[in-house]
Amino acid sequence: MFVSNNVSFKMMKIYFSMFVKTFFIQGLWNYERLQNIGFLFILKPLLCKIYSDETKKREAFLRHIGFFNTHPYMASLIIAIVASMEKELSESKYLGEVSDVNTVKNIMEGPLAAIGDSFFGGTLRYLIVFVSIFILFLFANMFSNKNNKFVAYNFWIPLVFIFFYNIVHIPVRFLLMFIGFRFDRKKNIFLLSNFRFMFLGKVLYCSELVVMIGALVLYLRFLFFGCVNINARFFESSVCDILIYAVLFAFSIFVSWKFSAVFLFYGTVLACIGVSCF
Amino acid sequence: MMLCVNKNIVFLAFVSALCSADVIAIGQLMICRPIFCAPLIGFFMGDVSAGLWIGIIVEMIWINAVPIGVAVPIDVSVLGTLSTFWMCKYFMGLHEAAIWGLVLAIPFAYLYKLIDIWGRDFNTKLMHWVERRVQNGEYRYINIGVAVGLFFFIAKAFLFYIFSMTIGGWIYRFIYSEFPNFVLKGFQKAWYLLPICGFGMAMCNFRKIRILFRR
Repeated sequence: MFVSNNVSFKMMKIYFSMFVKTFFIQGLWNYERLQNIGFLFILKPLLCKIYSDETKKREAFLRHIGFFNTHPYMASLIIAIVASMEKELSESKYLGEVSDVNTVKNIMEGPLAAIGDSFFGGTLRYLIVFVSIFILFLFANMFSNKNNKFVAYNFWIPLVFIFFYNIVHIPVRFLLMFIGFRFDRKKNIFLLSNFRFMFLGKVLYCSELVVMIGALVLYLRFLFFGCVNINARFFESSVCDILIYAVLFAFSIFVSWKFSAVFLFYGTVLACIGVSCF
Repeated sequence: MMLCVNKNIVFLAFVSALCSADVIAIGQLMICRPIFCAPLIGFFMGDVSAGLWIGIIVEMIWINAVPIGVAVPIDVSVLGTLSTFWMCKYFMGLHEAAIWGLVLAIPFAYLYKLIDIWGRDFNTKLMHWVERRVQNGEYRYINIGVAVGLFFFIAKAFLFYIFSMTIGGWIYRFIYSEFPNFVLKGFQKAWYLLPICGFGMAMCNFRKIRILFRR
């Protein structure tokens, strides 16, 4: 289904082992050439299989020992394209220069890293974190008087986070690699450039905002109507407490914008200690 | 609910080291994120709820702490893991103790960051060793290099957790017992206030929303 029909079972096994090895692409991450050994580690089974001539094999290995850095999830596509090009080179079907392999690699790693960082690191993870927190506070509101049930549901929240994140990320890695093997370089780049990352990003971004606001509302409801320790309250009146939370929320946005998370954390804890003094 | 209580420091340090390895070395399956690893330690220590709450606080406040490119941010899995471990081991169920755990875990997370940078620097030497072998046509050293890199990553995290769980735990317990009452009350308030800061931190990311939709 994912690779062309004329691929042998042995090659399929090599492709699959390459897919499994992509999870270790940063195993020897270093400051000089970043993911270079990881990249070679993934390509190794294929290069050993397709090059029978020792000199050509050595040249192929040395070709890929240079600098390489991209988003670890998006690396699958570059690996698949480079593998296809190396296969063509080994069968002398490739009409271009040998240096084209490294050129394609170097050109693709930057944009794919940017897409991966903004989509996975900056959008998807946030969304799934807030979905998990939303579910937690939903259950906290539903079962705040039945502590045992609340604890039982707590147990599932980290699993919800891991499940939803990996149900997206692992298939993306798999598809990128096997689509890369399935089509030639031009078709892959055409497919990639036509994929509407911006639209998907916007949809997820909006969903994230809605879910985050929902989680915040549920959290405030839990604070005021749930089984919260009375010592956590600043005043007897809930109205004054709401005012404090609103000020703190606005202050947090400002501090996050201008300063670091550590500053925000220590600042809040010190403010709480200061308030408790009086 | 069945809780798998196992308070053996060696076992917990190993589990924590595996979670930390997920940041860079293995998989990136997000088991390193505090929303997962803090409740996991809580599960082994017998208090999932406290672990989850600590995890949520750390996850939201340090939501932007992701290693991108060569940047090495503060290790958030260290924050979640250590504070959950210390609280559950010495003052089970006390929210103020959890906040004190977070306060103390931040310097340890910075220490781990320094160790991590040193480890990545060491990997450069290992990479050159592999490169020389590849030039000689000894390709199996690529696998050995990756395996050694992973081993060193997990070993350094494991030793760090052993050190911080024991020595750090001693410091944690000693200082906590000296706190006056008003400091503990402040920590209690912070337990419920810090998630609000987390929401504020996350909201800060939406300040660019207009730029995104103008494109």
